[in-house]
Amino acid sequence: MAQTPTATATAPVEHEAHGHAHHPRQQHHFVSMDQQFDAAKLGMWLFLITEILLFSGMFVAYAVYRSWYPETFDVASGALDPFLGGLNTLVLLTSSLTVALSINAIQRGKVKKMNWLLLATILLAGVFMVVKYFEYTAKFDHGLFPGEHFHPHGEYTKYDVPYAPQFFSIYFVMTGIHGFHVLVGMAVFGWLLTRGIRGHFNSEWYTPIELTGLYWHVVDIIWIFLFPLMYLI
Amino acid sequence: MAYDVHTQETHADGDHHGHHIIPQGLLLKVFGGLIFLTVLTVLTATQMDLGIFDVPLALAIAASKSALVVMFFMALKYDNRVNTLTFVVGGIFVIVFLTFTLFDTLFRGDIGNVDRMTVEERTAQEEALRARDPGEEGLRIAPADFQNQEDAAASDTTESPSDDAAN
Repeated sequence: MAQTPTATATAPVEHEAHGHAHHPRQQHHFVSMDQQFDAAKLGMWLFLITEILLFSGMFVAYAVYRSWYPETFDVASGALDPFLGGLNTLVLLTSSLTVALSINAIQRGKVKKMNWLLLATILLAGVFMVVKYFEYTAKFDHGLFPGEHFHPHGEYTKYDVPYAPQFFSIYFVMTGIHGFHVLVGMAVFGWLLTRGIRGHFNSEWYTPIELTGLYWHVVDIIWIFLFPLMYLI
Repeated sequence: MAYDVHTQETHADGDHHGHHIIPQGLLLKVFGGLIFLTVLTVLTATQMDLGIFDVPLALAIAASKSALVVMFFMALKYDNRVNTLTFVVGGIFVIVFLTFTLFDTLFRGDIGNVDRMTVEERTAQEEALRARDPGEEGLRIAPADFQNQEDAAASDTTESPSDDAAN
């Protein structure tokens, strides 16, 4: 088959004269770009499930300790600043929006807009980490360390209740691993931004943006649960 | 080639399921909903005392926010169904993980407990016994109990053989 009636459509497959035209990004073991995209996306979803299961182990630890020592969680969570936690929630939600908008932009072929939105995402992730840095250093200054290093002093001795070290172990491990995921996301988005500037992406092929976006939304969802569980209740 | 015709038809239709473009307006509306729910969870947790409903409400709000993110930001609502299946199966595993762990940790010691009294009755009994406790003063009956109280401890450590066992 040569020219088809839909040769004027935007898909590159129609622009080629021979039947087995390929987009330059299409690998030969895939039938079409769509199939390749769907396969990559399914693979990403499987990876994201393993991420959710990784965090669910820590949420289970939280649930067990909270059910055993509810009064400890009530007192010790008072050491966390709900304002900073809430601020970080808004920052991460906004970064999720900028990611979703960047995908919207590249789907409509607006590469420059996508690059700006990716930069905004990286900056918002940076704000999140800076706030987290101030939270952590404040905890360390007051001796609110995890586990056996727990040694609050001054007015913070009021948090020295039984099993408070376990609360801070759970807090630091959960927010620490979450923070590590934010740093990884920043690094990947930084790399994607350089590729975006070099013109690697267009409305036909933006799979890395889409998949990293999915990852970023999962990082956001983890924080959506961490914020109320740690700071509010 | 039938297959090529098929793929081109889906392209001609406009949006293929893998490339559904979610309008910016909808994304902004979802974002507004997420901000609203964040404010709601902060207000209900800090300004209201709901007792045992504090935790379920906070979790329900967090679950609603996650649903918004998954459906619209992650576009699962418009996506290939197999991705939804993957996500739901993963979620089921999380629930199994949590529920069955709590079956253990919440009810430890209960299954082997054949005590006829309830926990409340046991606590009441302990309190009644503690109320009957005469205390150290009440236990002094013989004249010897009132002598040499100040150095009693010191003499105990040098004379009592039970101290070695205690140490």
